[in-house]
Amino acid sequence: MSQNKNNSTTMIWGAVALGALGVLGTYATAGLERFWANWVLWFVLMFTLGLGSLFIVALEHLVSAKWSVPVRRIPERIATLLLPAIPVGLFALCALPVLYPGSRPEAAHHPILAGKAFWLSLPFFSVRTLIALGLCTLGLAVLVGGSLKQDITKDPRFNLRARKFAPAFMAIFALVITLVAFDWISGLTPEWYSDIFGVYVFAGAFLSGLAATTLSLLYLQDRGRLEGVRGDHLYNLGGFLFAFTVFWSYIGFAQYMLMWYANLPDEVIYYKVRLAGSWRAITISLAVLHFILPFFALVTRDSKKDPKRLRRVAYLMLGAHVLDMYWLIFPVLGGQPHFSWPELSFALFFLGGIVLWIRGAMQKGEDMPIGDPFLREGLEFRL
Amino acid sequence: MSETSYAVLGMFDSPDALMQAIPKVRATNLGTVEAYTPYPIHGIEEALGLRRSPLGGMVLVMGILGAITAFGFEYWISAIDYPIITGGKAANSWEAFIPIMFEVTVLFATFTAGLGMLLLLNKLPLFGHPVLSSKSITGITRDRYALALEAESDAFDSAAAARALQEAGAVEVEVLPAPERSPFLTSDFILRTLGGIFAACVVSGLAMFFGTKWFPLLPPMRHIEDQPRLNAQKASAFFKDGHGMQLPVPGTVARGYLPTATGTQEQAASLVNPLPRTKEVFTLGHKVYSNRCEVCHGALANGVGSLTAAYGGKPANLQAQQFRDYPDGEIYWAIVNGKNAMPSHAPYLTDQERWAVVHYVRALQRAQNAKDEDLKVVAP
Repeated sequence: MSQNKNNSTTMIWGAVALGALGVLGTYATAGLERFWANWVLWFVLMFTLGLGSLFIVALEHLVSAKWSVPVRRIPERIATLLLPAIPVGLFALCALPVLYPGSRPEAAHHPILAGKAFWLSLPFFSVRTLIALGLCTLGLAVLVGGSLKQDITKDPRFNLRARKFAPAFMAIFALVITLVAFDWISGLTPEWYSDIFGVYVFAGAFLSGLAATTLSLLYLQDRGRLEGVRGDHLYNLGGFLFAFTVFWSYIGFAQYMLMWYANLPDEVIYYKVRLAGSWRAITISLAVLHFILPFFALVTRDSKKDPKRLRRVAYLMLGAHVLDMYWLIFPVLGGQPHFSWPELSFALFFLGGIVLWIRGAMQKGEDMPIGDPFLREGLEFRL
Repeated sequence: MSETSYAVLGMFDSPDALMQAIPKVRATNLGTVEAYTPYPIHGIEEALGLRRSPLGGMVLVMGILGAITAFGFEYWISAIDYPIITGGKAANSWEAFIPIMFEVTVLFATFTAGLGMLLLLNKLPLFGHPVLSSKSITGITRDRYALALEAESDAFDSAAAARALQEAGAVEVEVLPAPERSPFLTSDFILRTLGGIFAACVVSGLAMFFGTKWFPLLPPMRHIEDQPRLNAQKASAFFKDGHGMQLPVPGTVARGYLPTATGTQEQAASLVNPLPRTKEVFTLGHKVYSNRCEVCHGALANGVGSLTAAYGGKPANLQAQQFRDYPDGEIYWAIVNGKNAMPSHAPYLTDQERWAVVHYVRALQRAQNAKDEDLKVVAP
């Protein structure tokens, strides 16, 4: 068992090293735009996965949920992904003059961008990113740090503090995810805007957090950990996954339909690009992979607690989230979708890194918040 | 005494005792086993062997049916029955159908869930469940747990059932007599319900009628009429002349009524009949000719129509050499502009109908001046 684990860890490290070589090769040969598009994609993916998991933790405290107490440590551990996302995000600021039209000098002569110059300018953009990352760290420190400390102190006052902090964090969360969605993703096309865009990215982030939580839960259960977590807990996670596939498509379609109806040139161009050539196939497969498949895979009652089915759907959701963000970011490179060795190298590098980080986090400390006074009630949860 | 009871109730003091008794009582096979408890008990549905509710499947099927119904309905309306192009979108744009499909899916699904659960699965309305008139009901709604053996047929043995419950550990047993009247839905109830709905309609209708009659200062919602818009036949301060309705811009042409044959008759000679010589065209030409032309020009186009004598005019004999030599365009010109005493027929004949009449007149002329070859064409 440990031999296998060491083997797989070595393999992942190898993949990361190989990916790092590819990343360097991309920087040297494939062009700066492509390099930075990949970099921003993986920053956004790391960030949404971490923040989505932190949202699950905060949601539990906000509504004083008891059922999720035994599994809360999993999203808490995944949320620590926000820490490595900070240097990745700071480094991504170098992408601004390359990819983001609002930060280029030509923007001063563009009639629309000139009006938004202050908002899009490099200094204010960087400050906003710093604020967003700082607020995330604050949420991480209070919710996750406090919970880890409670393992030792067994101090029930943490729950009260977290309950008071959770509503404030929800406001922070809405601000942060909207800022990141507007700045980092829709900032690539600054003439285009959509009010609902932050909510759209939130739906994807929450789904990716849920899918990663479900996968990690099944991973730990396979290794005989998380004793006492049963089908009833899985059912709730499956129910959330099921519900939010619908939410994501509701938001995504609502945004599309309003723009389609109004048919304003500066709005529909966004979809015009994504419905031309090979992007059309990607758009349609996104609808299938992100909504139709998971919806019908989870529609029955039994499928929501079937570990095999849930594992597949969780992998599918994570893949669909990657595709979703790719679909949002990569048209900035123009023309047809770019997918070749640079994208694979970035995927190897970052995916390997994320897996190593989360796996490392899973080995540290307790698997359940043993200091939480509601742990027993959570373990006794039945549908 | 052949009269059977509805059920036998056995009372237990704790949920654990109840759960332990369930398999024992079920094993006796004396009747349907049912439990009545003050609150839900985890795992009791498995112990009682209740079948999985089919409601989820019903809701799924009806939801999909709702989506299909809405799509079919909208597609038929917007793309087949009454296609109107709005906003430059194709008539069969699926994007516009999705919101209504979504709503109808939810509508079908929720109605199926609500009514299916209440009426089909729970068999409501139920007027007074027999257990509600038992002596044990005060305990069941407070701190005691009842297991019922319900009669499945007339052969139900109350005494054996009571014994079985006692052996399973019931601290108290009560035999419930069969109810005198069916507690389920009866025609009497349906009639009363329909009567109630009818009465409610009458009352609210009358209230609306007299309410708006006696309190005319409270009009119904009419926001749709209070719009800053131009109304037909109404004054408007928007235009200088104070009229809401304005004349069309000079030179405006109605769609499909582009003026033709505007020059002289000689200039129209070069026009070519765009219609093919098909049966449909001749049928149309015949119809229009007999409605519009025949009264003066006659059924044979020889200038002897039913009105000719009374009118005293002299309609053209279209069989005359002069008119047989006319090019199609000149006949067309005469229909559009009128000639001598004949008025213009353009206002009520479409372009197609005018050209169809030209074809028909040509056929009439040829029929009166047939050559031998014409007979050969028709004969075989």
